Amino acid sequence: MAEPLDLLRGTLDLLILKALSWGPAHGYAVARWIERATGEALAIEEGSLYPALHRLEERGLVSAEWGTSENNRRARFYRLTPVGRRNLRHEADGWTRFARAIFAALDAPANPQPVGG
Amino acid sequence: MAEPLWRRYLRFFGPDPAADADDEIRYHLDRLTEDFRSRGLGEREAQEAARARFGDPVAVRRALQTAGSRRVRRERRAEWLAALGQDFHHALRRLRRERGFTFAVVSVLALGIGAATAMFSAVDAALFRPLPFASPDRLVVLRHVNVPFRAEDFRPSGGDGADEAPRPVRFVEITDVAELSGVFSHVAAYAVGGLNLDDPDRPLRVRAGVVSADFFGTLGVPPALGRTWLPDDGTPDAAPVVILSDGLWRRQFGGGAVLGRDLRLNGRAYRIVGVMPRGFGFPEGSDLWIPLSVPIIPATFEPFRGWLPSTVVARIAAGVSRETAAARLMTLWQRRAADARVPGKRSNLEVTVDELRRLGALTPLQQTLTGDQRRALLILLGATGLLLLLACANVTNLLLAHAATRRREIAVRAVLGATRGRVTRQLLTESVVLAGLGGVCGLGVARLVLELVRLLLPPALVTVSPPHLDLRVLAFATAVALLTGLGFGAWPAIGAGRTDVGETIKTGGGWGTTARGARRVRRALVSLELGVALTLLVGAALMLHSLQRVLAAGAGLDPHSVATLQLGYAGSIPTAARMQRIEDVLQRLTAVPGIEAAGVVNDLPLEGQAGIALLIQAPGRPALPGAEPLFARYLIASGGYFRALGIPLLRGRVFDAADDSSAKVVIVNDSLARLLWAGVDPIGRPLHSVWESPYTVIGVVGDVKDASLERPPPPQMYFPVRAMTPQTLSIVVRGTLPADALLRRLREAVRQVDPAQAVYNVRMMSDVLGTSLRPRRTNTLLIVLFGALALVLAALGVYAVVRHGMAQRTRELGIRSALGATGGDLVALVAREMLGATVAGLAAGLLGAWALARVLASQLYEVKIGDGASFALAAAVLLAAAALATLLPARRALRLDPIDVIRTE
Repeated sequence: MAEPLDLLRGTLDLLILKALSWGPAHGYAVARWIERATGEALAIEEGSLYPALHRLEERGLVSAEWGTSENNRRARFYRLTPVGRRNLRHEADGWTRFARAIFAALDAPANPQPVGG
Repeated sequence: MAEPLWRRYLRFFGPDPAADADDEIRYHLDRLTEDFRSRGLGEREAQEAARARFGDPVAVRRALQTAGSRRVRRERRAEWLAALGQDFHHALRRLRRERGFTFAVVSVLALGIGAATAMFSAVDAALFRPLPFASPDRLVVLRHVNVPFRAEDFRPSGGDGADEAPRPVRFVEITDVAELSGVFSHVAAYAVGGLNLDDPDRPLRVRAGVVSADFFGTLGVPPALGRTWLPDDGTPDAAPVVILSDGLWRRQFGGGAVLGRDLRLNGRAYRIVGVMPRGFGFPEGSDLWIPLSVPIIPATFEPFRGWLPSTVVARIAAGVSRETAAARLMTLWQRRAADARVPGKRSNLEVTVDELRRLGALTPLQQTLTGDQRRALLILLGATGLLLLLACANVTNLLLAHAATRRREIAVRAVLGATRGRVTRQLLTESVVLAGLGGVCGLGVARLVLELVRLLLPPALVTVSPPHLDLRVLAFATAVALLTGLGFGAWPAIGAGRTDVGETIKTGGGWGTTARGARRVRRALVSLELGVALTLLVGAALMLHSLQRVLAAGAGLDPHSVATLQLGYAGSIPTAARMQRIEDVLQRLTAVPGIEAAGVVNDLPLEGQAGIALLIQAPGRPALPGAEPLFARYLIASGGYFRALGIPLLRGRVFDAADDSSAKVVIVNDSLARLLWAGVDPIGRPLHSVWESPYTVIGVVGDVKDASLERPPPPQMYFPVRAMTPQTLSIVVRGTLPADALLRRLREAVRQVDPAQAVYNVRMMSDVLGTSLRPRRTNTLLIVLFGALALVLAALGVYAVVRHGMAQRTRELGIRSALGATGGDLVALVAREMLGATVAGLAAGLLGAWALARVLASQLYEVKIGDGASFALAAAVLLAAAALATLLPARRALRLDPIDVIRTE
């Protein structure tokens, strides 16, 4: 297993939104999804998910309600709101563009020619 | 590890962010622990691994908790706002449905709030708001301090009487005050006069502040452009300079460059040296300022009518109290009086010192500007305070009655599950909405009342410190109404909460005889209202009676069909030429058909300022013991003046064309004649005044009130215009022409003689009297208005109580009727309930009126404070209104059909 990477600012929110895009989930499930999806490459203190989740809730990107978990315990379930879904799409686009630019730079030769001229 | 079951039930008592955070964190930790355990870790290791993966649960918990409470707060607020919006919606709908009730409450509030706000705004401008000068509390007016004359200019020249002027008496002078430098840091004299601005297109009369060198320094107001006076500008032989007001600068020069240019005033060029800032027009809305030279030279008199109505204003030095300053000034006066003492004779100066002891040697500037109106304003403010009280009592009454009729509705809502708090809030919201509407409408009322009150303020004050509608006061008055509304909205609401729901519904709600306590309160309120109304009505009656007396007393002249105008001749026109012009104008006027008489006078009576009085000596007249020196008003008139103004000639003759400076003749008024020659024919007697030679009395005319309609006419003496031609004068014509034509003819006559001559104050004599009477008339109008409002409000209160009592007792009345009571019996039954309240109100009102009359005493004219007629009239009006307000609703008892009543139950 490679050395875990630090999370870039704002990335956690994006990952949470993405995790919730598959359906309502409680915090533990979100943590598990992120862990699996990133191939355990990201070091998340799982506790930091909760302030992030509540922040998203305050911003109206997710909503939450108490429900019963798969092992029959009371857990707080988070659900992506329509605003959250739009926000996810927008943020993901931004990230993709950003990552593409970084990749392009990393692959570039010594004197890059501007594309299109 | 299951959570304790009981925790779930905590949520019944509302959201608990702390517990929620704990639950969420614990759930996560438990799952992680299980996870690690399932991968084969021991219990302890699993817990530690879970803790490491999760991070610091305490920090997370704290973060969640703050976010959680924030969210809860916000949700609560949103919920509360939603409920409030609902309440408002409800209240508005309800008030719209009960239009009569809403209209009554809102108009009562608006009247009370509006009147109180307007009066307070005016009083604030007049008494409380500081003048717009630097440290205005240090500015004082010094009574009787003189500006010295340059003696050689005023020595009688003997031959030409036209240049004769009164000899100055040496009082404390402005230069003496300046020497008290530790006491006063600045001292200045000012006076307001008029000058002709020689505009070739349109000769203009401007108001000129004639002010001494340190005037602007004393007030502490710097110029907007250029400079104010240099010390040299105030010396007798300085070149003429002028400072413009912002308004004149913009009107006359379009706000362009003016410094160093010349302005022609009364035919003389004045160099413009400065422009004052916008809004500065002290004194009395001056258009421009020219220097008052100290000592005074003849040219200083040009803007005036032969006398200088100067005021001396000083700034008390920092660190000196007003009392110390007054004491130091008084010492100076006493020393002067001691120096001038002649054994066995009471000097003029001693009389003055006595007066200063009585009135004070100095007065705050603000108080001087407010003048006589101070008391009147405070009285009216008190009256509006009473009116506001009355309005609040009335609204309370209306709300109580209203709440009583709603008991059933409230009880039903309680049964349907509305909490007590919710019902209370609903009622309070209605009160608040009513108070708010009252405040908004009150603003409109305040505007109207303020327009009226403005007429009451002295012009000297309005130009310095104009009254603004004070929104803080409006807010305050509305808050008072709101608190009343809340207080009395809460009362019935609490009462409603206490209501035994079942009982109320069973007995049919408002139809029972519950709420006896509320009815008692309402009767007490009605007594209070009647008392306040009677107090104000007595005040109004006293003031009306006074006004009537003033009008009946007359002025000693006949103001009907008389037109007047004023004009000032430039000093550059020689006396003879000036006299010729006056003659020409008078001749033209008398030639006009429809004009019966025309004349001129130096000081028109009741025109604002009283003019000067000169010392009279009467040789051969037995000296009265302890007699004060006798002064008589110095008037200059033409022969036609007396007929034109309708002043009766009692003996002898008026002036004719032969009465010039050599004739040495004088006409005296009745008062002066009686004082000097009681019981003897005054015609032909010599009158000694400040001149070397005596004047011979040729006629006696009626007394004319000059300073005010409310002061007895002073001794007056008239000199012929041909002997002492004044520079500034009024022309008076009497004619059968309509007012417009008369005024036009008058103006034309002056223009035909000299097209460039500016005229001003062109108006009918009745307007002059009207203006003079305006403060009293306004004062009376306002107090009558407030009294009438109070009466209406009180009557409304009585009406509401009786009407409501009737509604509550319909069943009882119906049964009585069925048992054989006549309609008359029923009316009497209902009316009797009001009798006690009315008698109590009457007693309270008479007591209040007795107190008010004492305060009003200074405002009354020839009416005693215990004037029986006024008290009786006011009480009769009140009783009539109360009786009407009782019987009108009680009459319904006559139409009561017992069968109907019992069937509806």
